[in-house]
Amino acid sequence: MTGVADILDWARQQVAKRVPKADLDQRDPDYIRDQLPGLWLLASLYFRADVRGLDRIPAEGPVLLVGNHSGGNVPPDTFVFTLAFCSYFGVERPFYQLVHNLVALYPALGWLPKFGTVAASPDNARLALESGAAVLVYPGGDYEVYRPSWQRHVVELGGRKGFVRLARETAVPIVPVASVGGQETALFLGRGQGLARLLMLDKVLRLKSLPISVALPWGLNVTDWLGHIPLPAKIVIEVQEPIEATGDDQAVYDEVVASLQAGVDRLAAERRFPVIG
Amino acid sequence: MRVERRVTLNADRDTVWKVLGDPDGYPSLLPHLQRWEAVTEGPPGVGSRYTVLWEVGAIPVGGIVEVVEFDTARDLAWISITGVTQRGRFRLRDAGPGRTTVTFRLAYHSDGGLLGLIADRIAARQVGRSLSESLKNLQRLVES
Repeated sequence: MTGVADILDWARQQVAKRVPKADLDQRDPDYIRDQLPGLWLLASLYFRADVRGLDRIPAEGPVLLVGNHSGGNVPPDTFVFTLAFCSYFGVERPFYQLVHNLVALYPALGWLPKFGTVAASPDNARLALESGAAVLVYPGGDYEVYRPSWQRHVVELGGRKGFVRLARETAVPIVPVASVGGQETALFLGRGQGLARLLMLDKVLRLKSLPISVALPWGLNVTDWLGHIPLPAKIVIEVQEPIEATGDDQAVYDEVVASLQAGVDRLAAERRFPVIG
Repeated sequence: MRVERRVTLNADRDTVWKVLGDPDGYPSLLPHLQRWEAVTEGPPGVGSRYTVLWEVGAIPVGGIVEVVEFDTARDLAWISITGVTQRGRFRLRDAGPGRTTVTFRLAYHSDGGLLGLIADRIAARQVGRSLSESLKNLQRLVES
């Protein structure tokens, strides 16, 4: 067993070593500006997105935006909110998005740093917040995006409270960002957590899931590592009131989850049909 | 892309200017505005800046604009400082005794090459509707 543990430890170190430290200078406002029209077309025509409550985000200074995450490895909520934030506050306001380490390492997504996307780590998030930027984080991450589609309106951050400590230590407000629609872009059947544990992916790659879904163009889609073509589900996002991280971790965490869940419930109540919205 | 709408009102230019010469009142005039906030202080005039965001498609579009022409009862024009490149203008001209023709023009341009051109073209219909509704609101305000 010692041998297996050593191998796992070595593999974990290899992955950790390759996780890039955030280089905030890679964010390129002109590049973002060039991409906004294409994203606007995708958000407006394909996902018929609706983003509300952006005025609840403090107009300046660092802020930690905490969202619920949906849509497997092709989560439309991230790009729709990024588009809305950049349009509302201008590409001049520094804004960074935290993504799973493997996404940051994926060669085909080498353009993400220009958008301000950095690998999710406490150090990277602190660096961005201390520079005065807004930071978007999805604590539920790979755990939440693969929840079954019939739980699409359930907020599951998986008990990950790192964002609360981060907000407290950097003295920035937390602004919850609730969204619905992402989990209707494919039929997600389950996380496959047992399979992930069996293959030790949770220890090596920090992957707690090996999800199974029915998605275009694959049909039965295991892992979703190659992504999928999302169905044109209507994406609705609502920014909630800011929360100060002044209580203990659990209390603040519960308050954020409650705020997100209330927002999701409100948006879900407006939906008449899956995908169509 | 340039979009223009025009209306002739049963009101003289001074009456129309009382509405159009006060950008702080534009939220009640311009439909689909999500944000209109003065950035600079003092009475409106050349150099006044506003944060302007219109709901176009999925998201608010706009940025900070600056008034570059403030010719009483004739022209009010602005250009964008940040956000989507745009030029806007209200143009007031006599249309006979006690009547005024108001032209509302909005020229805008998105970056992003071909996709920017397509986005501009697709947005034009909604922008045109907004301009028409603005002039209807103006008509209601000055003729009532």
